[in-house]
Amino acid sequence: MKTKRLAELSMLTAVALIIFIVELRLPDLTPIQGVKLGLANIITVYAVYRYTPKEVFLVLMSRVILGALFSANFSVILYSMAGALTCLAGMLLVKKIIPMEYMWLCSIIGAILHNTGQTAMAVLLMRTFAAAANYPILIVTGCIAGLFTGICAQLVLKRFS
Amino acid sequence: MTKGVKICLAAVIALFIAVATASYFILRPSESTMVEIVQDNKVLYTFDLSKEPNRTFRIDYSGGGWNEITIENGQITVSDADCPDKTCVKTGVLRSETIPIVCLPHKLIVRFCDGEGS
Repeated sequence: MKTKRLAELSMLTAVALIIFIVELRLPDLTPIQGVKLGLANIITVYAVYRYTPKEVFLVLMSRVILGALFSANFSVILYSMAGALTCLAGMLLVKKIIPMEYMWLCSIIGAILHNTGQTAMAVLLMRTFAAAANYPILIVTGCIAGLFTGICAQLVLKRFS
Repeated sequence: MTKGVKICLAAVIALFIAVATASYFILRPSESTMVEIVQDNKVLYTFDLSKEPNRTFRIDYSGGGWNEITIENGQITVSDADCPDKTCVKTGVLRSETIPIVCLPHKLIVRFCDGEGS
């Protein structure tokens, strides 16, 4: 990996981490568990379109692991990891059919998959389907949040290229 | 707009409408007053909220940690907990039949149930 590339990826990771931590400090929008904007996803969507899958994977994994460490809430890492991985896998797949101008659509699909992965992990860990009770609500809010972060990522990409 | 984008867009919109409709029904408040508290897949307590006096008690988790449950005027909440995220506390009063109060770190679930309590 070229040094310049490495520096770019490190910077992306740092920006994603800052966004992640700032978002943690914002008050919750709703009392429903799991509903959040997922602003750090802006960086992931951006990276999916700008870098190779391997590089995006590295950025996302560093962000999830460091984010869990910095937020002093390491126990939830399994959930964020499951969400992040399903989201990334899905976005890398739909990237092939969705061009850059429709990046927000890719982001929505990513958000839906993120919630799916997280809910699946919760069901697996708790061994009860009660953990999936607010899954439909998470999909609705995920679509809205995904649209928002997708549009943000699109604006970021426009400014950079 | 290519064909692939159109298909994806249609799928997302269809899913959104379907799930939004489903959520509307899920968010309706429950008519049942029977509530159960489950930890580690074992039912710890069953209450009839309409008959319970106001009180506060603690549930200790065998893996360490506790949740404080408050029953007040026929409503149940997790009023305090020592888990790191406090999601169970933020959920507030138990209202919906399909959305339980869940504390993932302590594997605790407070939800409406059918049948007679003990």
